[in-house]
Amino acid sequence: MDNKDHHGQEQTGRRAVRGAAGADPTMSLPGLDVRFGSNVVRLSAWQWLVTALLLVLVMSLVPSIWERIEPLEDGADFRIPYELSYDYWLYQRHCRRSAGRGDVLVVGDSVIWGPYVTRQETLPHYLAAATGGCRRFANLGLDGAHPAALAGLVNSYGADIAGCDVILHCNLLWISSPEHDLRKARPAGFNHPALVAQFYPDIPAYDETLSRRIGNVLDRNVTFFAWANHMRASRLGGHDLPTWSLDHPYDNPGLALRPTADVEADKRHHPPLPWSDPSRGIRRQAYDWTDLEQSLQWRFFQATVAALKERGNRVVVVVGPFNEHMMEAESLAVYRRLRDQAAARLRQQGVACCVPPVLPSELYGDASHPLARGYRQLAEWLVRQKEIADLPAGRQVADSVGR
Amino acid sequence: MLFHTWAFVAFFLIVYAGFRLLRGTRAEMPWLLGASYLFYGAWNPLYLVLILYTTSVDYYAVTRMARSRRRGMWLAFSVVNSLLVLGFFKYRHFAAENINLLLDWAGVPLAVPVVNELLPWLTADINSSLAAMGLHYTVPGLGDLPVGISFFTFQSMSYTIDFYRGHCDREPSFIRYATFVSFFPQLVAGPIERSTNLLRQLGQVQPITRTDVADGLSLFLVGLFKKVALADYLAQYVDKVYAVPGNWHAPALVLATFAFSWQIYFDFSGYTDMARGLGRMMGFRLMLNFNNPYLADSLGDFWRRWHISLSTWFRDYVYIPMGGSRRSTWAIYRNMVLTMVISGLWHGAEWGFVIWGLLHAAGRAATRKLEQTSLYRDRVPRPLKQALVFAFVTFAWIFFRARSWSKAWTIIERIFTSGWGDPQFPILAMAMILAIWAYQHAYESRWGRGILELAAVRVAAAIAMAVYLATFIAPGAAQAFIYFQF
Repeated sequence: MDNKDHHGQEQTGRRAVRGAAGADPTMSLPGLDVRFGSNVVRLSAWQWLVTALLLVLVMSLVPSIWERIEPLEDGADFRIPYELSYDYWLYQRHCRRSAGRGDVLVVGDSVIWGPYVTRQETLPHYLAAATGGCRRFANLGLDGAHPAALAGLVNSYGADIAGCDVILHCNLLWISSPEHDLRKARPAGFNHPALVAQFYPDIPAYDETLSRRIGNVLDRNVTFFAWANHMRASRLGGHDLPTWSLDHPYDNPGLALRPTADVEADKRHHPPLPWSDPSRGIRRQAYDWTDLEQSLQWRFFQATVAALKERGNRVVVVVGPFNEHMMEAESLAVYRRLRDQAAARLRQQGVACCVPPVLPSELYGDASHPLARGYRQLAEWLVRQKEIADLPAGRQVADSVGR
Repeated sequence: MLFHTWAFVAFFLIVYAGFRLLRGTRAEMPWLLGASYLFYGAWNPLYLVLILYTTSVDYYAVTRMARSRRRGMWLAFSVVNSLLVLGFFKYRHFAAENINLLLDWAGVPLAVPVVNELLPWLTADINSSLAAMGLHYTVPGLGDLPVGISFFTFQSMSYTIDFYRGHCDREPSFIRYATFVSFFPQLVAGPIERSTNLLRQLGQVQPITRTDVADGLSLFLVGLFKKVALADYLAQYVDKVYAVPGNWHAPALVLATFAFSWQIYFDFSGYTDMARGLGRMMGFRLMLNFNNPYLADSLGDFWRRWHISLSTWFRDYVYIPMGGSRRSTWAIYRNMVLTMVISGLWHGAEWGFVIWGLLHAAGRAATRKLEQTSLYRDRVPRPLKQALVFAFVTFAWIFFRARSWSKAWTIIERIFTSGWGDPQFPILAMAMILAIWAYQHAYESRWGRGILELAAVRVAAAIAMAVYLATFIAPGAAQAFIYFQF
C-alpha cells in the first residue's frame, strides 16, 4: 500500500512499449498505468494480417494432410466405430472414400449401423453377400442419427456422395411420439444436437444456448473444427486435452495424438437376443404416433431426400421394416397407415421406395433393429426389388443375382 | 454473456460495427450505453434497476455537490448509499449470522432476522409473474449476488470522491456518466476505472487507429488463452482436490494450492486482458491490472502488481485518507492492517477472505521494514525473494479458495501430516505453468525480452495459441470467471 512508483525495470519496459506504439495520449495520467500489457505478444496490424493468413493456411491444410497420413482401414464392412458416433469428420471421410470407390451407399441411423450385430452381419454386408460380392455396399449408418440429424449430416458432411447410388433408410420410430418427433423436450435431450437445424426451422425440443448454436454452425462449416473434434473424439477419448491429461496425468499427449487407424472392435453392442426373450423384459408398446403433416422428423426426412436428389444421387428409400410384433393392435393400425402414407408420398415425389414385409418376430432385437438373420432376410428381399435393380449399380446387382 | 463465448463474439461484432459507424456523433454514447445495459441485462434484466439506481444517485450527488456549499454532506450521502447497497446485497447475511453467533455466545436471547428477500411477498409475486411470462429471471435475493456489484459500485464511488477532492470535473452528460459506470468490457470484473481515465476518454473523440485494433486483438487473444487454456484447465484439478481435501495426500494438496495460485492469476488477468483488448479496439485505454505478480520480490511489490486497479483504489480512498505512511509507526501498521482486511472483505462475505486479508496484512507488517533494508534489497538473491513471496502468497490463497476456516485448516493439517500419495497432477499442466513462468522471467530480462520481441516469435506465439485453442479445447466448455462472484 505504499505510494511508490514501479521499480526501474518496469519503467524501462514502459519506455520500450511506448517506443513501439508511438505517442500514447493517456500514458501521462497521474497514478494510472495504461501501457499495453505485461507481455510482448503484441502484433502490429501487418503482423496480424500475416498471422491471419498463416492461420487460414494451417487450418486449411492440416485436415487434408492428416487425412493423408492417418490410415483409414475401411475395408469391406467398415462402419463408424460406435465410440466415434459424434466424429463427423470421420463420417465425411468414410463418405468420400466410399463414394470414390463407387460403392452403393446405405445411409440411415442405427438400423443400418447394426447395434445387435457384428460388422459382418449388417444390412450392407448381407446386401453385398446377396449380390455375390460383385458390388460393395458401404455402411453409412450412424448410431442415433434421427432424420433431423441426418438432414444436417447429409448437408454438412455428405457433399462428397453427390452422384452416387444411395439406399436411404426411413425409420418410422422417429415419429412414434412427440418426444421422438422433437416437438416435445425430453430431460435427457436427444442425439446429435449439433447436426440439427440450429436456428430455422425451430425445433421445440432443442433448448440450447445461442453460443452453442453458433458454435455448431461453425463446426459444420469449418472443416478444421470438425477435424479438431475428430482428434478429441478419436485420440483423447472424447475429451479436450486438459480433461484427457487429468485422466492420464503422466502420459505424453504427443503419443496419444499419433495418427492411427480408427477401427472398431468386431463386436456387438447389445446381446443378440430377440426382443421377446424373457431376459430382455420388453413388452408390447402403444405408440403416440405423429401424423406426417405435423411431423418435424418427416419434414427433415423429406429434406434429406430432396438434398440427395438435388446432388444427383439415385435414391431408393426403404421404409421399415418396423417390428410390428411389438405393437399393440391400435398402434399397429396407425403405424401401417403412416407407413403406407409415407411410401405413397415419396412415390408421388418421384422417389423410388420399397416397403419390406415384416420379419419374423424372433428376428428383431427391439422395436426397429433386426438381428443378424433379419438383416440377411431383408437384404435378400431387397436385392430382388425393381427399385434396387433400377439403380445403375443395382443393375449389376440384378445381373449378378441372375448369374 | 461471457467473453469467451460465441454469443459474445456475435454481440461484440454488432456493437463494434455500430460504434465505428456512430463514432463522434451524438448517438455514440447512447449506443455504448445501450450495448452495456444489454450486456449486463443478459445476466438478469432486473440487475439493470440496481446499476441505474447507483448511477443516478451518484450523478445526482455530484450535481448537488457542484452547486452546494455542503459538499461533504453530498459526498457522505453518495458514499453511504453505495455502501448500503453493497452491504445489503453482499454482507447482510454474513453480518446477521455473525451477530447472532455473538449474541448466542454472550447468552443474549435475541436474534437478528436473516432476511432472505428484500420484500418476500413482493418478490414472490414478481418472480411468479416472470415465470408465467416464460422469463427465467428472478428478483435478486440474498443468495443471488448481482454480478459485478463490487466493481461498478467502487467505480462510481471513485467519481464522487474524486470530484469532491477536485481531481475531476463534473460530467455534464448523464448518458456519458452512465456509460462510464456500465462500460461493458470492464463492467463485471474490472479493471475498476477512474473518472480521470475512462470518463475523460469517453468525453474525447480519439481516432481509432490500426494500432488500437491490433493491440486490442493481441490483448484479447492472450487473455482468451490465459482463461480457456490455462485457468479452466487448472480449475479442474483444483476443484477435484479442494472438493474433498480429506481424500488427498500432501503432494496433491500442495500442488492443488500451487495450481490455484496460477489458476486465479490466469483467470482474473485473462479477463482483464480481454476487457482491455475490447476497450482498446474501441479506442479506449483501460488501466493495467496485472503486471506479472508472481515475479514480485516483496509483498509490497506483489500488491503493486496484483489487481492494481483495486489496490490503488484502496490506496487512494482508504489507506491515504487514514493517514497512509505519513503517521506514526503504529498508525501506519494499523492503516495497513485495516486496508488489507477491508480488501479481503471486498472479495466476499466469508471468514476465509477476512483471514486472507489478515494474513497479507500480517505479512506486509512483518516485512515492510525488512524490504527497505539494504540487506534484503541487495544481498538476498532475487530468485530467493521471489520464491519466498510466491510461497507466502500461495499459502494465503488456501484461505481464499477454501473459504472457511475449518476447510482451510484441514488442508494445512493434511499437508503436514498426511504423507506421500500420488498427486496425479498432469505433467502437461506443470509444463505449461513452467513455460509461462519462464516467459515472464524472460520478459523482465533484457536478453529474453530481445528474443520475445522478435516479430517471428510474436507471430508464432499468436498462431500457436490460436491453433491450440481451436484444436484441443472443447467448444462450449466455457466456465465463468472467478471474480464474477465478487
